[in-house]
Amino acid sequence: MIKGSGWWAAVVAVSVFASASPAGQTGGGQAIPRGPDGRPDLSGIWQVMHQGAAWNIEDQNAAPAPHSAPWLGIPASRGLVEGGEIPYQPWARVRRDENYKNRLRLDPEVNCFLPGVPRITYLPFPFQIVQTPTYIGVLYEYVHAVRHIYVDGSDHPPGPIEWWMGDSRARWDGDALVVSVRHFNAETWFDRAGNFHSEEMRLTERYSFLDRDTLRYEVTVEDPKVFTRPWKMSTLLYRRKEPNVQLLEHECYAFDGVAVGTRPQDRVGR
Amino acid sequence: MTHRCFKRLLALAAVLLLPAWAAGQESAETRWDPPRTRDGQPDIQGYWSQRSDITTYSIQAGLEDRAEHVSIGGQNPQKGRPIIDPPNGMIPYQPWAAERAKMHHAVHRQPPTPDVFDPVSRCFLEGVPRIVYQGNMRILQFPTHIVVLHEFAHHYRVIYLDGRPKLPDTLKLWMGDSRGRWEGNTLVVDVTNHNDRTWFDIVGSFHSEEMRITERWTFVGADRIDYVATIDDPKVFTQPWKLRVQLGRNKPEELFEHAVCEGNKAVHVAFGIPFEEKK
Repeated sequence: MIKGSGWWAAVVAVSVFASASPAGQTGGGQAIPRGPDGRPDLSGIWQVMHQGAAWNIEDQNAAPAPHSAPWLGIPASRGLVEGGEIPYQPWARVRRDENYKNRLRLDPEVNCFLPGVPRITYLPFPFQIVQTPTYIGVLYEYVHAVRHIYVDGSDHPPGPIEWWMGDSRARWDGDALVVSVRHFNAETWFDRAGNFHSEEMRLTERYSFLDRDTLRYEVTVEDPKVFTRPWKMSTLLYRRKEPNVQLLEHECYAFDGVAVGTRPQDRVGR
Repeated sequence: MTHRCFKRLLALAAVLLLPAWAAGQESAETRWDPPRTRDGQPDIQGYWSQRSDITTYSIQAGLEDRAEHVSIGGQNPQKGRPIIDPPNGMIPYQPWAAERAKMHHAVHRQPPTPDVFDPVSRCFLEGVPRIVYQGNMRILQFPTHIVVLHEFAHHYRVIYLDGRPKLPDTLKLWMGDSRGRWEGNTLVVDVTNHNDRTWFDIVGSFHSEEMRITERWTFVGADRIDYVATIDDPKVFTQPWKLRVQLGRNKPEELFEHAVCEGNKAVHVAFGIPFEEKK
């Protein structure tokens, strides 16, 4: 083989596959994993590859973190929000800006509380999906959060319920898993930049395979109390493929300095 | 009949009945042909919780240690004595560790510092085996791993069955690292890599980072799992000891969110720390 021809052949092959796969199918001609019931099998360990989203779901410049550790500086990043900007009502934009100014005190992540949905999805920690035909569990390394997603035709309980992680009910739309999430509290944020919602937030998430090791994650956010219209975010979830990968723990609420009684202001047992 | 005489009779009855009980146990276990998963494992999926009347307040003397709470609060007294070996039902501490456990017990209602306050009351993870006698769980099974979802504080465990190597000793986890295998109808799980921050109960029964646990989850009938954990820690105990929990099957139920850190005021109250302002 002439040096270089292998490279060219690969390019041709990839472009042929890409053009041959009709819209709505996975790219690259790869078969996606499927369970015994024929549905796409989302099982595995996944993670976003987008350090910036945890800091801000809108576009942002690189900046020092709001504490003094420079290796934890904020990376420049493109936002996840379609159209670039979250359609806040005027009062809510003011509140977001206040949140931003006071984020070191107000961000629920500072206490390592349950981060809510969709924030948990793009925190820089892996999560494991376990799937049966009627139930999908999502186990997160971050504060061992769990989501129970029922795919059994059941509807949301009537409520009112205010849960940190909401109540999740899903159905299949072709090969896409569509999850309705409701019954949130008003405590969780979208990111470390103060973006927030009310207890009336409703989410519609869509998980679809881009190829066997990549999921497209889309989420539509509705909250008539805070936003002028529904808005959408999307990002990709990548399969963690290291042979020794497994979920470990990030129990930061138990860290000295975060746990109540060990914080600087607590002055216990001194 | 004198009290002493009665006790002797009981002991005698226990000795006489023990072999028959053990034999019954054995045959029931071998006769039982459990439903199987697609890949041939005994199918233990479903919803379970303990039937042993164990209180996480105290695994050695729950009835006595909790007597004050029961008399004040009117809770149900729980009589479970989970430790089956040594036969006296007590943790075989080394002398230094017995002293420390005694100190934990003495201060557990009014701890001088947070580090001697029950970690679960502080909303930290329960660890193994405490989570097993804490509340209800759902078990899911896959060819390469078993997942245990606990409602209490959304604990979960992933028990790998695929023979992957264990984590290096230097990694320490609240819930440890679990590797399982099936021996007949018994799921045998080695749980290692524990940190030294979890307790077995509220009164402060403790272990070190060197703890190793072998769990045996024996599927003895459609609705019963007999769980025995052998707990070894040469730094703290004089011998390995065993704790038994009988698990019974529950009706299918959705697990609710149980966010314990988020509203937790236990440490605030215990140490007079003012509650945080809301906004």
